[in-house]
Order: sequence, then structure tokens, then C-alpha cells
Amino acid sequence: MILGRFLAISGLLLALLVEHSAAGGLDPQATARQVDELLASESFGGAEQPDAATAPQAGDQTMLRRLALDLVGQPPTPDEITAYALDTSPDKQSAAVERLLADKSFGQNWAYYWRDVIMYRRSEERALQVNPALIKFLTAEFNGRPHWDQIARQFIIATGDIQQAGATAIIMAQMGVAEDTTAEVSRIFMGIQIQCAQCHNHPTDRWQREQFHELAAFFPRISIQPVREDGKRRSFAVVSTDKGPKKKGGNARRGSLEHFMPDLDHPEAEGTLMKPVFFVTGQKLDTGMADQERREQIADWITSRENRWFAKAFVNRMWAELVGRGFYEPVDDIGPDRSCSAPQTLEYLADGFADSQYDVKWLFRTIAATEAYARQSRSRYDESGAPFASNCPQRLRGDQLYSALLVALELPEGNREAARRKDYRRADGTPRGQVNKAFGYDPSERRDEIVGSIPQALFLMNGVELNRAITARGPNTMLNRLLKSIDEDDAVVQELYLRCLARDPNDEEVETCLEYVKSVGDRAEAFEDIAWSLVNSTEFLNRK
Amino acid sequence: MSLHLRHQIEVSLSRRGRMQRRDFLRGVSAASIAAGTLSWHDLVTLQAAEINKRGMACIILWMAGGPSHFETFSPKPGHENGGETKAISTSVPGIEVSDNFPEFSKVMHHAAIIRSMTSKEGSHPRATYMMHTGYLPTASVKYPSFGSIVAQQIASAELDLPAFVRIGQATRDGAGGGILGVEYDPFHMPEAGKLPTNTAPSTDFVRYDRRLGLLDRLDASYATSGGKEEVAEHQRLYQKAARMIKSSQMSAFDLDQEPAEMREAYGDTKFGNSCLLARRLVETGVPCVEVVHGGWDTHFDNFPRVRELAGQIDRPFAYLLTDLHQRGMLENTVVLWTGEFGRTPRINPRSGRDHYPRAFNSVLAGGGIRGGQVIGRTDEAGGTVEERPVGVTDLLQTLCMSLQIDSTIENIASNGRPIRIVDDGAPITELFG
Repeated sequence: MILGRFLAISGLLLALLVEHSAAGGLDPQATARQVDELLASESFGGAEQPDAATAPQAGDQTMLRRLALDLVGQPPTPDEITAYALDTSPDKQSAAVERLLADKSFGQNWAYYWRDVIMYRRSEERALQVNPALIKFLTAEFNGRPHWDQIARQFIIATGDIQQAGATAIIMAQMGVAEDTTAEVSRIFMGIQIQCAQCHNHPTDRWQREQFHELAAFFPRISIQPVREDGKRRSFAVVSTDKGPKKKGGNARRGSLEHFMPDLDHPEAEGTLMKPVFFVTGQKLDTGMADQERREQIADWITSRENRWFAKAFVNRMWAELVGRGFYEPVDDIGPDRSCSAPQTLEYLADGFADSQYDVKWLFRTIAATEAYARQSRSRYDESGAPFASNCPQRLRGDQLYSALLVALELPEGNREAARRKDYRRADGTPRGQVNKAFGYDPSERRDEIVGSIPQALFLMNGVELNRAITARGPNTMLNRLLKSIDEDDAVVQELYLRCLARDPNDEEVETCLEYVKSVGDRAEAFEDIAWSLVNSTEFLNRK
Repeated sequence: MSLHLRHQIEVSLSRRGRMQRRDFLRGVSAASIAAGTLSWHDLVTLQAAEINKRGMACIILWMAGGPSHFETFSPKPGHENGGETKAISTSVPGIEVSDNFPEFSKVMHHAAIIRSMTSKEGSHPRATYMMHTGYLPTASVKYPSFGSIVAQQIASAELDLPAFVRIGQATRDGAGGGILGVEYDPFHMPEAGKLPTNTAPSTDFVRYDRRLGLLDRLDASYATSGGKEEVAEHQRLYQKAARMIKSSQMSAFDLDQEPAEMREAYGDTKFGNSCLLARRLVETGVPCVEVVHGGWDTHFDNFPRVRELAGQIDRPFAYLLTDLHQRGMLENTVVLWTGEFGRTPRINPRSGRDHYPRAFNSVLAGGGIRGGQVIGRTDEAGGTVEERPVGVTDLLQTLCMSLQIDSTIENIASNGRPIRIVDDGAPITELFG
């Protein structure tokens, strides 16, 4: 016990030393070690025997699939798995992380992720028109040198045609309504659900109604205007309304010069004129300021170091995505009155993230280097262990699942052209769009609330295209090629496991499959059934 | 008290109290899934079966775009706002409807018209969402569509089919399961007359069962490496999906089983087939079917266009009521015909009418509602409700009353907020009895 405490303290000292020795952000590996020590002391009851409390480290194949799905949104190919297995260098895991962070799919994966975070909360279907531009914007950001403060800033100050300016997405998803935009900016960038105070002073939250409306006072001048071409409505634009009515009229999409807090007893009355004040720091503006001034100011204040929630919210969310559980859950509700399962660890990691200038890739490197990340998974329903004593299986998001199908069945992406069309409804009609519609979920929801649906099961069981791709009889299918080129049945089983689950089958599984092949009598039919079963398996739908 | 038992007790309380979905998923999953006993959904449906011994159901005929009240069930032939639309008498003396509805006029004795609908929402998405959920859209709470509520509250455990089916053009503005979860999302049928998407089994049933058996065996190793609950949940879902595909109830989707005269009576058109399918689904035990009919956004050429649209729905709508009545199903099936709002009294220069939420009309029939009534009235000009205003939540309360659903039941949003099935408003009690 004493030793444990000593280790924890010396760990903290070490952290201080590291912090002072590294310029431009801490070393990810050293930070990761420190994170594990802090976790051991605050979560597993001291560092004396951490192994007893925690799950063992995951093996190579589990790790590679986990890293690939987490970072680039698709499982590794059989070639990549083999290359990883043959690599004997001690730092091959961090090399893999670097390779994945540099992959083009990294940006796309996280673009899809944040599109889901934003668009699952849309108030209207028309907002979906922003999607292609949003994906483009975020893919470029994440594939460059992503700094979360700079990305956040662009979202907060965005203007322009939504089909060109992807950063308008948060505002467009709320149709520019000041209260709803405010709520989303606070939720997404600070993890504070201040909108609970929109109508009443919340009994358990510290924020007052005034404070919500003071924050809303940074956003009243936003309007959503239709963009017309040849007399037809082609798109929408987010514009500043610096001339116009002082108070909002009946049209929810039209901005006003100032924000008024409604009088709950007299909804028809004018309400109270609100000054823009940032509830976290108390920094304020005068009324009368132009839209861009207000929004640039609040963007600065939200992303500044004094606002600790900004770094914490991002770290909490990304930690939850990678380790399977957030320090706070749900991930977007982390206010001062919520309980945190390992507060020192989160503080430490959030500080490191802020020191790195909110470098997104630094955070991924760091989390991926922790032992907490690399542990074997235990079910999220198993609450017997301490928090973060294991990783947690994550259900694949729609995009990850679609990419996993492409890898497993060696399929091309599908109709990309249609996805680029202006008609957002047709984007749903691409194969990826359809899988997304069926399998996608709001990533901010608690993962224990995300359950499978009948249409999902029906798609995987009976989907015509999918079953056509599974068949061994088609001239140009993965299985057809496999059966032609490999004569030994156990080798085919192995290949199918690598493709579908990114791992070797165990002896029992090989035996089950070989017995199955024998009992069916028809080699092609039997392997179709095996491929079908693997694609329909629980493991396929989850990342361990 | 064991966790398992506590949760079961909470479930039994939930009819009067709160639905704590998350607690169940956590508690029940760990404890009772391991024991191989009931899931949350099973428990709820078992309960719902208790409630649904009455076999209540709801059919919503959704007129997307906002149908003009003047050209449907509130004609104003004597006023300039009424335009060219004439009024015709109905099977109920003293009640007139527009001349676009000759077939409906013959079944007026089954139906009640509400001529005093009123709301504030004049944009399609917001008004559509409001009418389906009783709430305005917000980013923080995804409110469930009324059909999802019905599915949650009164679906029978014996039902192999989805409990909420939406036929016709899909609209997410009409909302889905929301905070109730994906299992209460509407099951979408783009078109009546075909099997629903992906329900034709990929192989014959013998091989299908063999595949499912193999899947179970291969899933076993995932179950032993930390995924026990996930595998159990997955298997239950697949059993449910397989049960549906193989169920004899699937024949409800097959309209060819109806005699030619029946299909003819419904009109054998897209909307006619949808109404016939709705009846077949309700007959099979589906508690809520929504049929979507679009095109009512008549900003120009209002008069010929509404005539055409009414022509598409008049006969199927009327025959649906007749058919339900003849089968003895009307008493237990409440039918709602409505759009998201009405249209402007003033006819615009393109001889169209624009959005108008202040006054519009809806029609209710069945489910204990006495036919042959008119509720409320607008003024001569058709622009102001003069008598018995009915808000959106009043209408939803009325549906709850008909379906015997306790509208004060609270579902819990993921942010912890309790959400009532319908938050305010009061049922139109004079419709009943």
C-alpha cells in the first residue's frame, strides 16, 4: 500500500519532469505510461498488483483490428495482418499507429464520425444537404495537421453556402435557431448540456436560465437563407443578419439583432434583452456587436486554455471511443455536477492535450500507447471490474461496418458518383448510404443503449446484393477465387476468418467448419454458409 | 433483493410509472440474459399483451404537404375564399364535405370531422414532426413518433411482424422510435403489394436453419471471450428476424390473397393497395400502420391538383372505413386522416394556397369514436377557429383515449429527462360514446 502510494507520487513527479522537459507537447509514450499509473492508483486501488485487477493485454491480431477500426474505420486486410505478424520489431504497434494516422482513410473515418455526432441531432431533413461538404471539410482537416481548437473555431464562425462550406453543419443542423445552435455548440465542444436551463433552472445543475440565454446571445444574428438558381431553391446559406428586426419574428430561420430571454409567464411579451456572456469564465460583450465579432469572440473563449471543458470534452469522447468507456457517460454530458470515474487521469490527459495545442493526432498516439487501451475486452455489461480494467467491445458504426463488408468480400466502394449528387436524398441510395441508414447510430448515445434492429438483421441475412457477393458460384466473387486457388479446406477456413474477423480461427472453429463442410457434402455451398455465418456473426459487428 | 428481481418489479410498475429503459438494459442484460430469461423487450411485450387483449389498433393516413381544408372537409362555397370548390351532402343530414369526396360522403356516418384544428407551425418539417410526436424538434431529445408509442404500449407478444409499419414515401421528419430505441422505429414499406425489403430468405428454409445453426456455433467462441451478453442479444435478434421471415403472418403483405373484388373495391391503386395492406396488417395484429400520401403542398393550381389528389384517396379511404366496419374491426381500430397544417384562405395569384397552420381539418373514425359528427368550426372566411379549438396535443390525447393508452406515462430520455407520451392537451371527450 505504502509502496503503491509512493509509486503514484513518484509518477506524478515524473509527469511534472516530463512536462517541463518536452517542448511543443509531451511525449505520447511517456504520457501514456503516466496515464496508466494514475489509473492504477485511482481506479484499481493502488499499483501494487495491477495485473490482478485488470484484463491481460490483447494479442497482436486483436490489437491490429482494434487499431485499424478505431483509427481508419476499416479492418486490416489479410496481407496487413500477415505483415504485422511477421514484424518482430518491439515498437511495431506504434509504427502501425503512425501508418494508420497517415492513411487517407483516417480523415474520412473521423469525418464520418463527426458528421454522425452533428447530424443525428438535426432538426430537419433538409440539413442533410450539408453532408458532402462537411465530409470534405473534415476529411481534409483530419488528414492535415488537425488541431481541435481550429476545427471548433471554424464550426462556430461558419458562414456561406452549405453545399460548399462544410463547417456550417452544426448551425445548419439546427436551422440557425439561436437556442438550438447554442445548445449544440455547448454540448459538442464542452460536453455541457446547458440547454436544460433553457426553460427552467435545473434542480441539480448549477447553470441558471440566464446563463443559457446569455450564451445564446452570441448567436442571434444567424439566418439560414435559401440559395436560388434559375428561380429554384438549390441550397441554403448561413448568413449574418446585421440589419433587421431587433427581436426574432415568426420565421425561425431568420436571425434578429439581439437575443431575448422569453418571459415564461407571459410568452407573448418581449422578454429580457440578453448580453452575450460566457458562463464558464464570465467574459462578456456588449449588445449591438456584429454577428462575426460575437461568434469569433465566443470561439476564442470556448477554445482558450482557461476553459477546461473544451479539452476535457474531446479527451473524454475520444477515450470513450478507443477504450470503450468514457470517464463520463454519456460522453457529451460532463458538467461540474456529473461524476467522473477517474478524474485525475482525465485532468492529466486533458492538460497534455491542451499543451499539444489540441493536436488530435497527439491524443490518438497517446491513448493508443496506454495499457488501458491495449487490454483485452470485457463485456460492457460486466460491471464487476474497476473502470478501465479492460477495453470494451464497440459496435461498429454504419461506415465501419460497410468498410468491413468491403474488406471481407473484396468489393469495390460502390456507387460513389451518386453520393456526390446534389440531391441529398439520393446519397442515401448509395450502398454505403443504405448500410449507414440501417446500421448508423448517434455516437453520443450511451453504447449500452445501442441495440441491433430487425432491418439490420434482415439486411445481413437476406440482402440480395450481399448474398450475391457471398456466393461461390458467381464467376468473380471472393469465395469463387478462394475455392479455385486453395485446395485444402482448412486453409480456406483460415482465409475466411482473416478476411471477415481479421484473426486466425482457433482449433475448435476449424474443426466445426470442417465438419460442417463434410456434412453438407457440397464444398461451394458449405463455404457459402460459413462466409454467411461469419458476416452475420456478433464478432463481425463489433470491435473487440 | 437481486438486481434481476428488482428490475422485473420495475417493469411491472412501468405501466403506472416510468419506463427505465437504460436500467433494464444494464440490469436485465447482465443478470437475466445470463440466466437465459426474459429481455427487456420480452417483458414489455408480455405486459403489453396483457393490455392489448382488447386488440386496439391505429391507422394513420398521412397527407404530406398540408391538405387544403377548403377543398377537403371544410368547404366554403359561399365565400370568395372558397374558390370553385362546391359542397355536397353526406350520409349524415346537415353535414357537407367538398365535392372532391363523393365516396367519403357516403360513409360520413362512420367518421368525425374536426374543423377546428390549430397550431403555430407553418414549416413542413417542424409541423410534421410536431403532429407525429406532439413535440417540437430539439437536438437534445429525440421524441418518439406516435406509431412508435403505440407499438411500445400495446403490441402483442404473439406478433411476429414489426409493430409499427409505415407505407409509402419515407419521411424522417415523421420521426421514429427516438428515445424508445430502434426496435420501435417504423418498419418501412416503400410500396404495398411487394414483400418488404430483405424479407425474402436468401436460401430455402432447410439450408436457412442450417446456416443459423452454424452461426450459433461459430458465435460461441466470441461469447466465451468477453462477448457473452452481446452474443445473447444478437441471437435473440436473429431469432426474432428469422421468426418473422418464416412466420405465416408474413402473408399479410401478400395482397394477391385478397379476392379481385376486394382489390377493386379499394381501387387497386397505389394508395388503395396501401390502405388494403394497412387493414391486412391490423387484422394480423400490427397495432399501428401509417400510410403516407404526398403531394398536398399546392402553392399553385390548387384546385385541379387537390381534385386529383382527392381522387386518389377518396375511394380507398371510404372503403377502408366500410371494410373495417363490415369485418367488425372499426370499433377497435381508430383511423386518423390528417396532414401537418391547412392552407391559406386567400387564393394566391398562381391560384394556389400557401401554408396555414392557424386553421385546418382532420378526420377521425373508429376506435370508439361516434361517427357522423363535426367538431368545431372556422369563421365564414375559413381563416379563424371560432369554436372548440383543437391543438395537436389534443388530437394525440384523443388517440390515446381511443387506444386506452395512459398518456401520462413517462419515457426517460438519455439525458435523464422524463418525457410524457403526450405532455399537455386534453382528449376531445365528446367524440366518444
